[in-house]
Amino acid sequence: MATVTMTVNGKSVSGEVEGRTLLSDFVRNNLNLTGTHIGCDTSQCGACVVHVNGKAVKSCTMFALEAEGSSVTTIEGMANPDGSLGTVQQAFQDNHGLQCGFCTPGMVMSAAALLEENPNPTETEIREYLEGNICRCTGYHNIVKSIQAAAAAA
Amino acid sequence: MVHIFPENLSSALASMEIPAKVIAGCTDFYPSLENGHVPDRIVDVSKVDEMVGITKTTPGWRIGGSTTWTKIIDYPFPPAFDGLKAAAREVGSIQIQNTGTIAGNICNASPAADGIPPLLTLDAMVEVQSADSTRLVNVEDFVLGPRKVDLGTNELVTAIWVPETRNNTTSSFLKLGSRKYLVISIAMVAVTLSISPQGLIEFLNIAVGSCSPVARRMPVLEKKLTGLRAEDLLDDIRIEVGDLTGLTPITDIRGTSEYRQSAVRELCQSTIRDAIVKSLEIT
Repeated sequence: MATVTMTVNGKSVSGEVEGRTLLSDFVRNNLNLTGTHIGCDTSQCGACVVHVNGKAVKSCTMFALEAEGSSVTTIEGMANPDGSLGTVQQAFQDNHGLQCGFCTPGMVMSAAALLEENPNPTETEIREYLEGNICRCTGYHNIVKSIQAAAAAA
Repeated sequence: MVHIFPENLSSALASMEIPAKVIAGCTDFYPSLENGHVPDRIVDVSKVDEMVGITKTTPGWRIGGSTTWTKIIDYPFPPAFDGLKAAAREVGSIQIQNTGTIAGNICNASPAADGIPPLLTLDAMVEVQSADSTRLVNVEDFVLGPRKVDLGTNELVTAIWVPETRNNTTSSFLKLGSRKYLVISIAMVAVTLSISPQGLIEFLNIAVGSCSPVARRMPVLEKKLTGLRAEDLLDDIRIEVGDLTGLTPITDIRGTSEYRQSAVRELCQSTIRDAIVKSLEIT
């Protein structure tokens, strides 16, 4: 076991992990931040996307120890300080950007990373950026609409 | 399990004195573990200073081994690197490009590694270091077979070198997959070329991936097209079976051998045309 320390959603946290512990398991099991979902466990579906030092990564293929000293943002960190939904989250709710909701945390995190890089993306750019996030319910239509709405609202 | 995070090259090389599994972006490592058994000793080179980032020097470009695909996409390379950038955009998804590295792609040595065909057409070399030696190996000679590279247990791939290219070099990369995104290729082709002021092909490098155990250059086709009028090739590029030597495409879940054989010829034609069009646009 080793101790890992990082900043998660603005708070300094540390925990005891095995070398093999994945970042996705660390945030879910050690920190009880279960908003980050684990779908495929092989870096394909994108339900586990979090930001590490501002970049979107799939936390199911990153060791917790690799995030030592990093600043990590999970879906729980996307809400406003008063607990109300953040811009992207609100846009997903308003535009029915989800059905079962399993992929949604990853979708919101990828959307936020996109809007950080490109505040006014075209529909094509949105669809391209979401290549690593799979949704099996919505057909992506309302997800794209949600991200367009979030861009307009920001 | 011991997990080591060296932050500079000398400590990274020192940590290789005891055999270890080397990881960087870690995007392939975990999903491919057999039975979930993690090696006893892991050296993570993603934060080794001398292995991150791109520098332009007199003999060419040095791309640190732990440089991510996103950094390669964002770097202001000349058009000769368009093929490498296009390949970078095809690696997994954005999140994978944010962490996956160029040396990891090479050392993983998948027959379908997106980065390798463009590097072959750029005559790229691999910088291999151990605590007491440094050597440069052509990418072509470094990748020996599926999952096999010319790397000692005490060595690290510290950088990729791309020699200076002619000013008017353009390049292209096309990948054929069963869908647009998140896909392992059925076949892929990379081309770099330049066109003389008289409109003739000065040189043309072409490499094919996913159709042999290791991606390879196509010397017969290169020789055949060199010296030809570039504009004529936009209408008609004749590629005979004998022009594509050494391809032994397999039948697998992604496509049959016959399909790959015929698709790769089409893909070669499209990639060459694309590079020619780009070249005519900039001149």
